[in-house]
Amino acid sequence: MSKNTTKRINIFLFLLPALFLFVAILVVPIVSSVYYSFFNFSMIDASDKTFVLDEKEDTSTVVGDALTAKETDDRSFFGKLFENYIELFENKNLYDMGKALKNAFILAALSVFIQLPLSLGLALMLGRGIKGERLYLSVYFVPVLISSVVIGALWSKIYDPSHGVILFILEKLGCADILPAKGLLGDDSTALLAVFIPTIWQYVGYHMLLMYAGVKSVSPELREAAKLDGATDGQVDRYVVIPSIKQIIKVSVIFAITGSLKSYDLIKIFARSKYDVPYNVPSLMLVKNVFGGHGGEGNAIAVMLIILCFAFAILINWIFKERDIYGGKKHSKQQ
Amino acid sequence: MKRILATLLVVVLVFSLAACDKKENNTAGTGNNTTTNAPSSSSEGLTKDTKADLEMWCIATESDSNRKSYENAIADMQAAYPNVNFKWEAFENESYKEKIKAAMAADEVPDIFFTWSCAFLGDFVNQKKVYCLDDVLAKYISNGDLPEVMLGNTTYEGKHYGVPLTMNIVGLFANMDILKEVGYTDVPGTYEDLIACCDKLVAAGYYPFGCAGGETWCVTEYLESIIEKKIGADALNDIFLGRASYNNQGVADSVAIMQEMIDKGYFDPAGASLGNDDIKANFMAGKYAFYMNGTWNCADFAANEAFFPKVKVAEFPVIDSAKSQLGQLIGGPSDTLAVAASSKNAAIAGEYAAALGKLICKYGYLDGAGLPAWKVDYDDSKVNGLTKKVSEICAAAKAYVLFGDTAMSAADKDIYLSYVDKVYSSSVDGAGFISGLAKDIR
Repeated sequence: MSKNTTKRINIFLFLLPALFLFVAILVVPIVSSVYYSFFNFSMIDASDKTFVLDEKEDTSTVVGDALTAKETDDRSFFGKLFENYIELFENKNLYDMGKALKNAFILAALSVFIQLPLSLGLALMLGRGIKGERLYLSVYFVPVLISSVVIGALWSKIYDPSHGVILFILEKLGCADILPAKGLLGDDSTALLAVFIPTIWQYVGYHMLLMYAGVKSVSPELREAAKLDGATDGQVDRYVVIPSIKQIIKVSVIFAITGSLKSYDLIKIFARSKYDVPYNVPSLMLVKNVFGGHGGEGNAIAVMLIILCFAFAILINWIFKERDIYGGKKHSKQQ
Repeated sequence: MKRILATLLVVVLVFSLAACDKKENNTAGTGNNTTTNAPSSSSEGLTKDTKADLEMWCIATESDSNRKSYENAIADMQAAYPNVNFKWEAFENESYKEKIKAAMAADEVPDIFFTWSCAFLGDFVNQKKVYCLDDVLAKYISNGDLPEVMLGNTTYEGKHYGVPLTMNIVGLFANMDILKEVGYTDVPGTYEDLIACCDKLVAAGYYPFGCAGGETWCVTEYLESIIEKKIGADALNDIFLGRASYNNQGVADSVAIMQEMIDKGYFDPAGASLGNDDIKANFMAGKYAFYMNGTWNCADFAANEAFFPKVKVAEFPVIDSAKSQLGQLIGGPSDTLAVAASSKNAAIAGEYAAALGKLICKYGYLDGAGLPAWKVDYDDSKVNGLTKKVSEICAAAKAYVLFGDTAMSAADKDIYLSYVDKVYSSSVDGAGFISGLAKDIR
């Protein structure tokens, strides 16, 4: 056996445990989700499942004395195969995946355009070494440490339309009438924003900490050089610090978008045991369907989420790579 | 009281059993004032020396009306069987429904678990996840402790799979202090009178009803009562049990009635985002005149000395007398303990669950958290007046329709509750409700 072959075998053997974990923890669940999304079954007994193409066409159902005629099944092969996926979008009364995805995209947009700039602003401010830096850092990070259940319960009390904090304050100010009668969480026009505010607030500190670490790693010499050239604090941040932490910002954007697409815990707390909420998101639908006897549709949602998260991660990488003037592929070629 | 309960059981025997499956209508006695059975004497397979580790999940959280009865019953059991290492955990009602299904799917159910009867338990029985309790319950049935009629909703293909606890119905609770302000000394007995009363309440600045939109099952308490009193119990049973389609004009009309009540300001709009505990607290604080919910609430109302004298309970009035009548009720024996087939100590767990269920039933009834599913062989003279009134209502019952989300399978239940939510938020009308359910369920 040549030295090269031995080396390759050694590399393979060293990589094997990691490969095994990668396949077992990531690949197998994804593949099984894709597989199960083409079946109709209940999670209580996943062995009793029917492949969507094997489902017998039921043109009429006798129910007691009533005969309910169903429409003739004239779907194409792919229409039948992707039945669970199509049903999620077509049956607006039951699933309305379109609305859930729209809500998730709104949350992702709010995260990128409100949450991250806030985090960046705080990180830049603290990165300048202001007085009480450590205290502010801890205070901003506290919401990340608190359980989502606690945050949900806390904000539910703030929003409570009978005895909530917001109601109390507005009553004192004599303008409680501006609150919707159904409450901020109950009214369709305000519910979405009411749920997203704490969701965004919760992770401002998390992204701030990531960016703060980046800001602190920027060489003080760079800052000083810029200052000597007459740059203001704002200009130093804009032209020196932010370009230096672009990779961290990229990671934050990926986390913010994929986190928004997968958001569940806090939204579930606000939704309580309600089955139809204006702030429905894919993960909420996923859990409801998987454990509500609609395993096929639940897995179809899971597959869509996986695809979306991967797609966004790749897209963000591509966007940042194209515009990266410090370490990107384009820059390397120029050298 | 005993006579009322005996009558009640006969009525349940004849009408309730909205039948999950085949039922054996054996008559069963009740009401004999014999001596109280200690847990040990009523469960032959379980002795003071029995050693086992048992775990139970239930929904008797701190705020649940049944909490005290569980605590008392478990304390009795632990004293009677000190060598059984019994651990229990309580979860919030709706989240428990998801938790238990997930646990079933993963075969990680505790030895004993709380469940709702009929289709909810039926789904698990069909998957062979539940231990058959025929042998365990046989002695209780033969000695008259457990009327077999109470097992109707937990019997599948002739086999018993659940230990019934208490039975409850949906009651129309009224705050009489508020009603007196608009000239009523009793709960309105007819639908027209109820509507007139609600109009007066609205004019006086009160919300007639409080309904927790944050917990969809609370909305069903209203909607199902209206549907039942519009189309009749038999028609509603046929729909819930799969013998008829939802495509029923009477159901659409009932939805229209409820939505008209919402539009007329009969319901507190803030309820759209509140949970049941908040709504109940508001009712007890005098914010609403009426509160439609399960009669297990009698325990909490009776425990509040200031509020108890103000509250009365009645059944929802008849809307269409050609199809419905008083005595048609929503409810029945639903709360149940079952044993996991995967339990390492299934036989002991079955014995323990039966003895525990009997005690929970006793303490629950004495607290007012429900009517007894087991024979009353103890002094019940101190049961609160509200629960006694519920007994009278049940004794005069002509038919029962089990709670919709209990009567139907898990898959159907979620679809049904989604549509019920849309009714309360007025995002679907009566026609949309029946056509949608007919398409998505039947």
